[in-house]
Amino acid sequence: MGDNLPPALLTTSLVNTIQIGSLYALMALGITLTFSVMKLPNFAHAEYATAGAYAALIVSLSGVLNPLVIMIAAFVVGALSALISHLAVFKPLERRDVSFYTLILASFAVGLIIRYILFTMADYFNLFDLRIAIPLRVLFREGTLILSNLFAWVVPTSLVLVFILTLLLNRSPLGREMRALANNVNLARVIGIPVERVKNYTWLLVGGLAGVAGALWGLQTAVHPLMGWGAIISVFAAAILGGLSSFSGTILGAYVVAFSENTVILFLNVNYGVDLAYKPAIPFIIIIVVLLFRPQGLTKLIRRAGDLGR
Amino acid sequence: MTRRIVYVLLIVAMTTMLGATATAQDDMEIYVLGVALPFTGSFGTFGQDFERGIDLAVAQMNGELEAAGSAIRFETASADTEQTPEGAARALQTIVQTTGAQVVVGPLTTSEVLGAKQFADENGVIIVAMASSGPAASIPGDNIFRVIYPPDTFSSKAFASIALERGHQNMVVLYVDDPFGNGMNEQFIKNYQASGGGEVASFGYAPQSTELSAEAAAVSAALAGFGEDAGFFCVCFPGAAEAFVQVSQIDPILTSVQWLGNEAMTSDEMLADPGHAQTLANADFVTVSQSADSTPLTPIFHADFVAMFDKEPGIFTNYAFDAANIAMLTMLAAGNDGAAVKSMLPFISNHYIGTAVQAFLDENGDQAIASYGIRQVAEDGSGFVLIGSYDGNTDTITYK
Repeated sequence: MGDNLPPALLTTSLVNTIQIGSLYALMALGITLTFSVMKLPNFAHAEYATAGAYAALIVSLSGVLNPLVIMIAAFVVGALSALISHLAVFKPLERRDVSFYTLILASFAVGLIIRYILFTMADYFNLFDLRIAIPLRVLFREGTLILSNLFAWVVPTSLVLVFILTLLLNRSPLGREMRALANNVNLARVIGIPVERVKNYTWLLVGGLAGVAGALWGLQTAVHPLMGWGAIISVFAAAILGGLSSFSGTILGAYVVAFSENTVILFLNVNYGVDLAYKPAIPFIIIIVVLLFRPQGLTKLIRRAGDLGR
Repeated sequence: MTRRIVYVLLIVAMTTMLGATATAQDDMEIYVLGVALPFTGSFGTFGQDFERGIDLAVAQMNGELEAAGSAIRFETASADTEQTPEGAARALQTIVQTTGAQVVVGPLTTSEVLGAKQFADENGVIIVAMASSGPAASIPGDNIFRVIYPPDTFSSKAFASIALERGHQNMVVLYVDDPFGNGMNEQFIKNYQASGGGEVASFGYAPQSTELSAEAAAVSAALAGFGEDAGFFCVCFPGAAEAFVQVSQIDPILTSVQWLGNEAMTSDEMLADPGHAQTLANADFVTVSQSADSTPLTPIFHADFVAMFDKEPGIFTNYAFDAANIAMLTMLAAGNDGAAVKSMLPFISNHYIGTAVQAFLDENGDQAIASYGIRQVAEDGSGFVLIGSYDGNTDTITYK
């Protein structure tokens, strides 16, 4: 591919792939976790990310520019958004033993409600298309390779959070309980696992991760109530590539989607004149191809990595 | 006994009053003014603000009609276009089928206007758009009137002339891939090359995109390929514009060439970010947008808007106010009938002095007065400075 893509373009696109792939991974892991433990493909997930981004924006606009404080604020708001949506909507619906499809529809509704609460707030306080106030600057430049402080924030934060999450799931009592729920919720209840408490923690974790991802995404672009929704198809494509059950598959899926959106599309543009406006079609194509030909995703290819529920 | 008489008198008086009110309402003739705007989506804030401008126009008009003893009153019926062509068609259909409205103010963008066009033409509904400027909607004889903002056939000439004056031998264009962006891109290339400009590399981005890293990389590579004399022209929607500037800040090529851009790049949000402001200042960023010179109505509109809504009007909100006034004045003159309004609207429009510009329509029903301001970012990035003007009707640029 490098023969056909100018070196500068290839380098830049690969840096973008790593940066954006890390963001997708952070968001997609929450979707995989929700699906594994709650059996819910949660379309409101995007809104937890947007809520986190707005928390980060407001904290930064208040003058606090410490990235750690900003990320913690985003985590807390994302986590609370997820927990509230669980307690107010998903939990009551589960108690009524509604169908899988009803839960999916409910997740769309929850997403809409959060989105338009954010719209109302953004309209009132005029918070459209603003950027989290951490200045962007070049940290490293060597030839065509340019790395920014944003890259230095996004990639390590995502990797560290993914690592912590993996440790939590594989090595902690809470992680064991989550995996037990993922396997068989009734059996987990019978053996004394506090199912509701574990679910609450799961939602907090899922929302918190999404919130941090939203804050990092807000550094990459501009914060807007539709910000998370705009990324959700790419994020779902990543989770579906991972088979919606494997962490490692989801992470790989995130980088595959980001690679397609940043490097493959440029390759097609340079060599075949494919318009960049087709970029949003890529995640749809990935979803369709995976569901048609490999519905289990990439899980079998990376079986040795930490699958949930095995 | 006395109390009974008082009760009876009270009942009689109230009945008389209610009857009089009912009679007055029965005698009222209600004209419904449709409002089709994007209340959701990334342009939702524009839509909501524009609706306030229209509400102000309707409230003022009803006040004047009441004072004059007229039996006509205006009511609005709004629907969300969702910022899509399909949504605009649905919005128009909803308004017309639920209220019988014959005249609709809006939609906002050219793609929405074109989406609603078929329904409007087939059902005799008149569209009065306030901000659409894409050349694709310049069609003679149809039911679309774009009464305030002139088509981009003019501004694209100004951009091409400025690019050539700046000595750009070749250009790279990033444009939103919708009728507005496509039209501006095509017109710009045509005018630029007709005036002696060289090669133009164009990259479209999907209208819903707000992450433009790949696009920035492609633009940067194309600029590098053209060499030092190349310039960059950004035709972006709000949101995408901020996102593009964000990812451009660390690109050595994009930060070393001069930029041109449409007015979406000139938002307050853009300059609120010091990094964005500095990037645009370093790029000698220049934009061309319709002159919003002050008329006697401008401060009055502003004061009335603040008094009614307790907030400042947003950018272009007065265009919605003016479009609503043109629509209502035409309905008062021609009646609540689509065909009559279509016939009458150019006459009314051509005699209307608005809050920003004089309206005067061409054979396509588009604003024919093409007077633009040329603005450049101040050196410190603190704001946009008027550096000249462009008269689209004589194709003349004048610098201050």
